[in-house]
Amino acid sequence: MKLHKLILLACCFLSAPAVSNDFDITIITSSSEDRKNSGKSFAGITVKPDRPVLRAVELAVYESSTLFKTLGINANIHQLTLDAERNLDDQLKELIPSSLLILDLPLDTMEQVAQITNKLKLIAFNVRHSDAQLRDTLCLTHVFHTIPSDQMYFDALGQFLVYRGWRKVLVIQGPSEKDTERAKTLLVSLKKFGATVVDQRIFSLSHHPDDRDENKPEFITGGISYDVVAVIDSQKDYGRYLQYSTRSARPVVGDVGLTPASWHFSLERYGAPQLNERYRTFKTGEPLSSQISMTDAEFAAWSAIKLISNSINSRQKGDDLNLLAVLQDPASQVDLYKGTRGSIRHWNNQLRQPILLSTPDAVIAIAPMPKFLHPKHYVDTLGIDEPESQCQLR
Amino acid sequence: MESGSAKRLSGIKHILRVASHALANTIALLAFSLPAYSATVAISNERSGNLVFMDDNGKNQELVPICNRPRGMAQNKANNSLYIACSDDAKVVEFDLTKRQIIRTYQDVPGAMYLVFHTASERLIVSNEGASKATVIDVRSGNILAYLATGLEPDGIALTDDGNLIFIASENAGLVHVFDGTDYSAIDIIITNLRPRRLSIRNTELWVSSEMGSRVEIFDTNSFEKIDEIIFAPRGFRSEQLTPVDILFNQTGDTAFVALGSANHVVIIDAAKREILKYILVGRRPWGLALTPDDKQLFVLNGLSDDVTLIDVQKMRPLKTSRTGLVPHSVEVFD
Repeated sequence: MKLHKLILLACCFLSAPAVSNDFDITIITSSSEDRKNSGKSFAGITVKPDRPVLRAVELAVYESSTLFKTLGINANIHQLTLDAERNLDDQLKELIPSSLLILDLPLDTMEQVAQITNKLKLIAFNVRHSDAQLRDTLCLTHVFHTIPSDQMYFDALGQFLVYRGWRKVLVIQGPSEKDTERAKTLLVSLKKFGATVVDQRIFSLSHHPDDRDENKPEFITGGISYDVVAVIDSQKDYGRYLQYSTRSARPVVGDVGLTPASWHFSLERYGAPQLNERYRTFKTGEPLSSQISMTDAEFAAWSAIKLISNSINSRQKGDDLNLLAVLQDPASQVDLYKGTRGSIRHWNNQLRQPILLSTPDAVIAIAPMPKFLHPKHYVDTLGIDEPESQCQLR
Repeated sequence: MESGSAKRLSGIKHILRVASHALANTIALLAFSLPAYSATVAISNERSGNLVFMDDNGKNQELVPICNRPRGMAQNKANNSLYIACSDDAKVVEFDLTKRQIIRTYQDVPGAMYLVFHTASERLIVSNEGASKATVIDVRSGNILAYLATGLEPDGIALTDDGNLIFIASENAGLVHVFDGTDYSAIDIIITNLRPRRLSIRNTELWVSSEMGSRVEIFDTNSFEKIDEIIFAPRGFRSEQLTPVDILFNQTGDTAFVALGSANHVVIIDAAKREILKYILVGRRPWGLALTPDDKQLFVLNGLSDDVTLIDVQKMRPLKTSRTGLVPHSVEVFD
């Protein structure tokens, strides 16, 4: 590592010898996590991509390298794989002091780790968990969320439905606790923007004929009038079989069909094709094929690093890199390649950003939708707003 | 009788006189509202791969297929030609404006995006979007004089009049690289606000549009220090929706024009006082700008609505909007 630093310093061709400032980034993963089972219960086919966020972090550092050189900052990426058998506190004490943490962890471990690292005053980013209530329960000074909350995703969807005039919504959800929680969040969004839930039904993963009212698409979508079907299926198990099989000829939205997302391979404006191309090709030995782009978790990890590098442009060479001060500065900002810059909501440390509404191969709209106005901030019609947030950090 | 007849005759003469006067007036009026074919406008269209030519009323359109993804353009007045960056063909072409055909091709210019032509030294500087560099070409020999290493996504370029300093903005990096225009050494790096796009020089001021920072920053071309910035606030828009791209000065340098992107406005600025004079509503996501040689008419390309808005600069009012090709990128106006 020492040698690495020397090389970086030597290459800074600019005037005065740059003062070296380390920017350490640690990606924390868990050894016990099984990421392979997603979406396999009903049909045995995985459709939900789930990749580690390392590549996206490497991309963000790669993109920031010229600026870092100019400012005399050395960025180093480290990885810590948590051993489920060992005590968490002990393992986290081994972290490099002042390291920025990217938490690529399952929900329960992420919550525990965030509580500990917050006490250690280390900046940590939740890049995977959109659970709306986390923004209230994990209300911690040093914990930031760059993955949108479900409230943001569903507010985008709700705005889109109302904008289209599809106000009568049939909600179909899975039986899991997570689906129930997310369905609740969806209902809040639909109500907020004036859509009506005509019924809420729970699908079954069983194929048994006795369960046909819950497992046959024609039955579970029958017997009622609606403009659109909204599906909550966190594991991407069953919902994908509803499209083109609904009793009435109606569009399907939510976790299938038209889906809210923070990033998409087919976004064609705002420089997005360049970012997608770079993501695929920047590692010369490991190119990715043309329709692969960052998942929302990867985009959130990329956003976290870019939020730092995009917010230090008023610094002087050699200034201490105080991550908390950078993130708490109201002027902190990030170019998200979505036409509107991102910034941090001071009340709950959530990254505010536009949400894409996309089919598998096209971005149909970018929320906030026209005519949904907010008294203070263009993007704050999406998500938990300051007055309704239980978390009031600053 | 005679006198009556004479009277009648003089009456007819009077009517004729009035009529001919009115006709002359009408002709004068017509001539005034439809000025003679004075300037020609060329617009590069990224997605349809062509140039559209039109007169300065937006009429008499002619489409000329050019290449894959034509973007930046620059005039060579001595040759009466246009250099056009063909982004997806990794080349720059020289297009003869009289013959209306390509007369020369400069190969091996990957991701050619934006370009400027320095008339005195006959050098072309082209930003290579995906390659984090810019290419300096001697247009006469066709030789590549230098590659200038920039940050990621280089876009706008500006040269001082004497050609001694070259400034190149890198969108992703948030930097403007400064190079010596003679030996091409790297002199300095200016840190800008988010997504610097276009650069324009006025006396010793370097104006930089920050697309995601929603402002124009002004730097000193000698010290490279920031002098000032201009923040925009057209009625009904939030800061995040202001995404400025092209910056253009008139010939005296006392007036600046900036296309405000997602805010669908172009702004006219008193450049010396750095005061906003007027916001003018145009099409969707305006970015490319050009003025007629007499500075009286402004052309604003609207990237998302595939059209061009013509603006009367003195009255600060839009005149009309005309259709372009698909995704208009750059506009040049010539005599």
